[in-house]
Amino acid sequence: MDLTLSDLQSSILTALDSLTKGYSAPDLHDAPLSTQSETLDRELRDGGFLDVMSDPELGAVTAAIIVERISRLPVASETGASMFFGGALPAQSSSAVAVMSGARAPFPIRYLAPGTRIVVLEADRTSYFVAQPDQIRAEPESLYAYPVATLLHMPDDRATLEIRPEEAQRRWRVALAAEIAGLLRAALDSTISHVSEREQFGRKIATFQAVRHRLAQAHVNTNSTYWLAMKAAATETPEDAAMALWHAQESARNAVYDFHQFLGGMGMTLEHPLHLWTYRLKALISELGGRAGNAAAAADALWPREMPTARR
Amino acid sequence: MEFVWTEDQREFRERIKSFLAELLPDDWERFSQHGPASPALTEYAETVCAKLAAEGLLIPHWPQDHGGAGLDPWYQTILAEEMWRAGEPRGGQYMNVNWIGPTLIRYGSEEQRRRYLPRIAEGRALWCQGFSEPGAGSDLASLRTRAEQAGDEYVINGQKIWTSYATLAQTCFLLCRTSDDRKRGITILLVPMDTPGIVVRQIPSLIGEGDIHEVFFDNVRVPVTARLGEEGQAWEIISYSLRNERLGIPRYALARAALDRAVKILQDRGEFDAPLVRAEAAKAVALCEAARTANYALVSLRARGEELTAESSTARFATVNCERSAAEFVVEYVPNALVDEHPFLKMHHQRAIVAGIASGAAEIQLNVIASDVLHLPREAR
Repeated sequence: MDLTLSDLQSSILTALDSLTKGYSAPDLHDAPLSTQSETLDRELRDGGFLDVMSDPELGAVTAAIIVERISRLPVASETGASMFFGGALPAQSSSAVAVMSGARAPFPIRYLAPGTRIVVLEADRTSYFVAQPDQIRAEPESLYAYPVATLLHMPDDRATLEIRPEEAQRRWRVALAAEIAGLLRAALDSTISHVSEREQFGRKIATFQAVRHRLAQAHVNTNSTYWLAMKAAATETPEDAAMALWHAQESARNAVYDFHQFLGGMGMTLEHPLHLWTYRLKALISELGGRAGNAAAAADALWPREMPTARR
Repeated sequence: MEFVWTEDQREFRERIKSFLAELLPDDWERFSQHGPASPALTEYAETVCAKLAAEGLLIPHWPQDHGGAGLDPWYQTILAEEMWRAGEPRGGQYMNVNWIGPTLIRYGSEEQRRRYLPRIAEGRALWCQGFSEPGAGSDLASLRTRAEQAGDEYVINGQKIWTSYATLAQTCFLLCRTSDDRKRGITILLVPMDTPGIVVRQIPSLIGEGDIHEVFFDNVRVPVTARLGEEGQAWEIISYSLRNERLGIPRYALARAALDRAVKILQDRGEFDAPLVRAEAAKAVALCEAARTANYALVSLRARGEELTAESSTARFATVNCERSAAEFVVEYVPNALVDEHPFLKMHHQRAIVAGIASGAAEIQLNVIASDVLHLPREAR
């Protein structure tokens, strides 16, 4: 048992921080609804950061560490799906990967664009297709702070992937929990900056205990979300994955409300970048059945239901 | 980053489990409802701790110079998890091995180490912690019990309250005021409880008999050599002690065991099919595992020789969350536990009552996190 970063993991994060340095400072006065960088996406791919899952020395824990760190950035960069599913997809391509739970359409999907490789988590199989232009409606006014488009039609001719449905769900839970952990940390940091400067009643907002305690609780939950995500990546058990995502979504729901309360009017505007993290969190709160779905999944993994015995 | 135990660590855990399975009496679960500070459990704990000491399982994480085996903090964690999972049969002696001993090793004089450490290492010592006062609970720095130096003695006058183990303890780890400086005016004295002038009164409680007391000090005289560290050094010393204390009590292990037991009871009754009940149980387990990993993150740092930081308050608050969640699950879905039908669950509930209060209230942990982890600006005093 050793929860500190290995030397190799530390080196990877140092390199990653160096690469993303130019993308880490949000525009404080004119934040867009969502923002992406093709250059960053290419540099992450070319730098090999998205390929660590296939390296036996690194694997899922390092992948989760990278997902968590990249999701702190103000720019949205698709990493979790590529890292946790890319190796299982037949076509090698540089296009983004999107994962959807259930074969449902019309439905909004993050990072959906022509050419996006879509993994569909179904009850009895894991399927896959490449999105075509006529299947997509762009959603430029989406509040979710990710690039989002609606999948209009679910194609019938989806290929079947060699990943058991339970395993696919487990992987996706780990990737999402790691992403939420990074978003929570960045949103907390952004909120702390604001309340440490903004004054009301002649005092900085951060000096009020009503604010301090809720931020401290957000830190406790963010810390636990991170560690549960890492543990789930390491143990590869369905119960750890489901508990990690439930905890992440529960923490996100509380934190998003609190952070916007503390920013007041400023958090409603695009003059502050908080929404880049909080509205991404809102997008992820509903994944895989939301808190109810993931708590139920955790229960089923912890205490499997007995199969009904056949009557004679 | 690795989440697997070494072979040696697994064997160590199995050794403790086997030891406890052989040692604990058949009626342990009912017996454990006696509070950790009750005469019955204190007497029993002395037997348990003497046997643990003989097996090398009482202080394996202490340095070899002081009777330990010099094992790394993971072994302390494994030992503590198994003890708490069983309901902590070491009673009040858990404090000795977790923080009183290590604090004496770090700050004590040679004479103090010689006097106190061997008895702790043999499993025969019981201490009480003279911290809280009627006017100084969470606001510990406002304590008023005074120690005036008179020649080569201190004369102590004042009152402590909510003191566990006070009736049976041999020694009190006492915080006294030696000057008016709020924090730098506090000094630690190691006071034998049979010193004339000390009066102890028990206060009946929810958490078991013999657990909570008032302690009165009326012209109590101790030699200057009873002082731990320098005058005014108490705040520094207890900050070190409490960080060890917060990490040394793996309440999540007992909370998880209680949840597993509650689920088994519900399954046996055929009452564990409702999706909402199952989900509530899973959430409580998730909070236990959240507390466990938050604690493990700190144990990892300590195993690498790093000092514990204010992040120990983060792990402590996560632990309070899990204790609360487990206890509330039992109250809601296995209500007969609290009327004695399920002794293990009642024992857990009684232990859980103090989770957010003892060794620094949960809200104080939030204060520490806000100031020392998040570095939020403080209001000017």
